[in-house]
Amino acid sequence: MLLRGESTVASIGIALAVILLCAVGASAWWAIRTLREDAQHAEADRIRAVVAMLADSAESMMNAGELSAVRRLVADAAREHGLGQCTIMLPDGGVVAASDFSKHPAGKLVMSLPDRWSAGLNPPADQTAVTQTTLTIDRPLTINGHGLAALHVQAPIEVSVSRFWGAQAGLGVIGAGSMLALLLVYRHSRARLRAVGAIREALLAIGAGEGASSALAISADLGAEASAWNQILDQSDKLRHDKVAERARESLGDRRRGKSDLDEACDVMTQGIVLVDEKMRCKYANGAAAVFLHADRDQLHGADVRQFVKTENVKTLLDDWASGRVRQRTTIEAERGDAHFGEGVLRVSIRPVRREDTGSAMLVLEDITQQRVAEEARHAFVAHATHELRTPLTNIRLYVETALDDGENDAVLRAKCLNVINSESRRLERIVNDLLSTAEIESGSFSIQRDDVHLDALFAELQADYEAQAAEKHLEVTFNLPPKLPVIQADRDMITLALHNLISNALKYTPEGGKVQINVDPGEHSLTVDVIDTGIGISDQDQERLFEKFYRAQDKRITDITGSGLGLALAREVVRLHGGDITVQSAIDHGSTFSMTIPGAADAA
Amino acid sequence: MKIHEQRHGAVMILRPEGPLVDQDVVPFRQQLNNVRRASLGRVVVDMSTIPFIDSKGLETLVEVTREMADSGQALRLCNVNETIREVLELTELSPMFEHYADANSAVRSFL
Repeated sequence: MLLRGESTVASIGIALAVILLCAVGASAWWAIRTLREDAQHAEADRIRAVVAMLADSAESMMNAGELSAVRRLVADAAREHGLGQCTIMLPDGGVVAASDFSKHPAGKLVMSLPDRWSAGLNPPADQTAVTQTTLTIDRPLTINGHGLAALHVQAPIEVSVSRFWGAQAGLGVIGAGSMLALLLVYRHSRARLRAVGAIREALLAIGAGEGASSALAISADLGAEASAWNQILDQSDKLRHDKVAERARESLGDRRRGKSDLDEACDVMTQGIVLVDEKMRCKYANGAAAVFLHADRDQLHGADVRQFVKTENVKTLLDDWASGRVRQRTTIEAERGDAHFGEGVLRVSIRPVRREDTGSAMLVLEDITQQRVAEEARHAFVAHATHELRTPLTNIRLYVETALDDGENDAVLRAKCLNVINSESRRLERIVNDLLSTAEIESGSFSIQRDDVHLDALFAELQADYEAQAAEKHLEVTFNLPPKLPVIQADRDMITLALHNLISNALKYTPEGGKVQINVDPGEHSLTVDVIDTGIGISDQDQERLFEKFYRAQDKRITDITGSGLGLALAREVVRLHGGDITVQSAIDHGSTFSMTIPGAADAA
Repeated sequence: MKIHEQRHGAVMILRPEGPLVDQDVVPFRQQLNNVRRASLGRVVVDMSTIPFIDSKGLETLVEVTREMADSGQALRLCNVNETIREVLELTELSPMFEHYADANSAVRSFL
C-alpha cells in the first residue's frame, strides 16, 4: 500500500502560508506608505503656514528698520519650528538674517539696510518646491522705500520610520495571529486533506493506466475517506474477480457441454489415447493425444493417424500393425527434436482392443522426457560417484601395501603412508556423507540439528586441513578471521560440510600458483563467509545451473578434475535449511567468489 | 515485462519479473504458449517476482490452464506470494492450478 497524499497536503499548506505571508507583507507596506505620505503632507502644510507668518513678521520688522529683531525672529523660528535653513537675503547677495550664519561668508552680512538697491538685480521669486525629503520655499519681502528682499527656507519634511513602530508592531501581531490560526486550521484539517490528496493521486494513477488495487489503496490511518476509498477498491476488485471467475466457470461449462463423463475422464489423463481401426483411422483421441500429435481433435477424427506422426520408428510400427505384420502389444520410445512441434521423448504403446483379430488398436502416448533426463543424470551420477569412490580407495590400498612391504623398518615411510591413508579415508567419508545427504534430500527426510557451533574451533580445523593441501599444490591460502568469532546455533556437521565443499572446490579449480582467500565476517545479524579464488572461473550459463544436483560445468578444462556434481547443491541446500543462502560471482579466467550467509543472532563467545 | 526462461532438465521455468497486469499479459501469454508447445507442456511458472496480478493477468492464467486441462495437463505455479494466493482463493480459482512451494518441487512433479 502506498502512502499517498502527503505531497498534495504539503503543497496546499505551503501555498496557504505563502499567500498569507504575502498578503500581510503587502498590507503592512501599503499602510506604512500611506501613513508616511500623510505625515509628510501635514509637515509641509505646517511649514508653509510658519513661513507665511515669518514672512509677514520679517517684512514688518524690516520696514521698521529693526534688523536685529529680524535676525532673532529668523533664528527662533528656524529652531522652534524645525525650518532647517532659513535666510533673508537682499538681491545683491547681502544676508540680512540667517538661521545659520556659518554657511555665509562674513563679508556678505548686512548690518543695516542700504538706502536703495537695484530692483533689477536677481529679483526674488515667489515659489515652493517639494522633494521627498525637503520643502523649499522662496518668498519676496517688500521693504518700503528700498525694494524687494527674499526669504528662503529649506526645511526637511522626511518622516522617520520609527514614528510607525506602533503600526508595524500591530500589523506584525495581526500577521502572526493569522499564521497561528492558519496553522491550527491546517493541523486540524491535515488528515482530511491528506486523504483527499491521496485519493486525488490514486485517481491520477488510474488515469495514467495503473490498474492494480494494491497500488491504488491508501493508508487507512488517513480517516473515514481513506477507508471508504479502500472499500470502493475492494468492491471493484471483488466484482472484477467475480467476473473473471464467472467467465472461467462459464467457459469450462461450455467446454464440458456435450461431453460424457468418460470423455472428461479421458481428457484428464496425461497420457494420450488414440483408438484406431484396422486402417489406422482415428476413432477417438483424447486431449493429450491431440497435443502429442500436434493436431486438433476434429482433424484427427476419421483421419489416418500416420500422417500426424513425425518419427520414423513410430510410423514403421503403425505400418506394421496396419499390414498385419504386428498384432501383439508393443512399446517403443520416440525422440522428437523439433523446436516448433515440441522436443522430448515419447513412449508409444500399441495394443489390440479385442481378442478377435479385428485390427482395432489403442495407441497410448506418454511424455517421458523428464524421466529420461533424470535417469541420465542418475547414470552420470553413479559413474561420477564410482570414480570418486574408487580414487581414494585405490590410494588407500596402494599406501597400505607400501606400508606393509617397505615400512616395517622405515618409520618415516610408515608415517607418510599413514598420513595419506588418513587423509584419503577422510575424503572417502566426505563423499559417502555427500551421497547419504543427497539421498536424504531426495527422499525429503533431510533435516538439521541445531547446537552450539564454536566457529573459532571450526575454522581452526579447516585452516589446518587446507593449508597442508594448498602447500602441496603450491597455492596460497589465506584465512582472514576476526580476532574473536562467535558461537552460533547451527548444525555443525552440515555447516562444516558446506564450508568443506566451497573451500575444496576453490582449491580444486585454482591452478598452481594461484590464491584462495577465505574472509569471515561475523555480522550483527548474520555470518558471512566469502571464499575467493583466482581460479579458472565459471561461465554465465554454468553459473545459472551450478547449484543443480549432478550438474558439472561444461568447461573442457575440468574434464580431468573429478567431482560428483553434488557439492554445491548440497552446500546450498544445507545453508538454505539454516535460513541462509549461497551466491556466486565469477568471470572466466578471473576467478570466483562464493558467498555464504547464515542468518541468526550470534552470541559472542 | 522481462520474462526469464530457464531449463531444469526437460522442464522450462518461466519467471516473469513485475506485476502481471494489463498490456504485460500479452507477451507473457505468447511466451508461455511458445514454451508450452516446444516442451510439450513441461512448463512451470515461477511467480516469485510477480508482486500482484490484475483481472487480465488472472484471465490469462485461467485461459492457459483451461487449454492445458483439455490435454490432461495443468499449469504449475510455484512461489506464489500471499497477495496472489488470496486473489486465487477469493475467486475460487485456486484448484485450477497446481501449486508448489519452489521451482525444484514443481520440476520434480514431472517425474
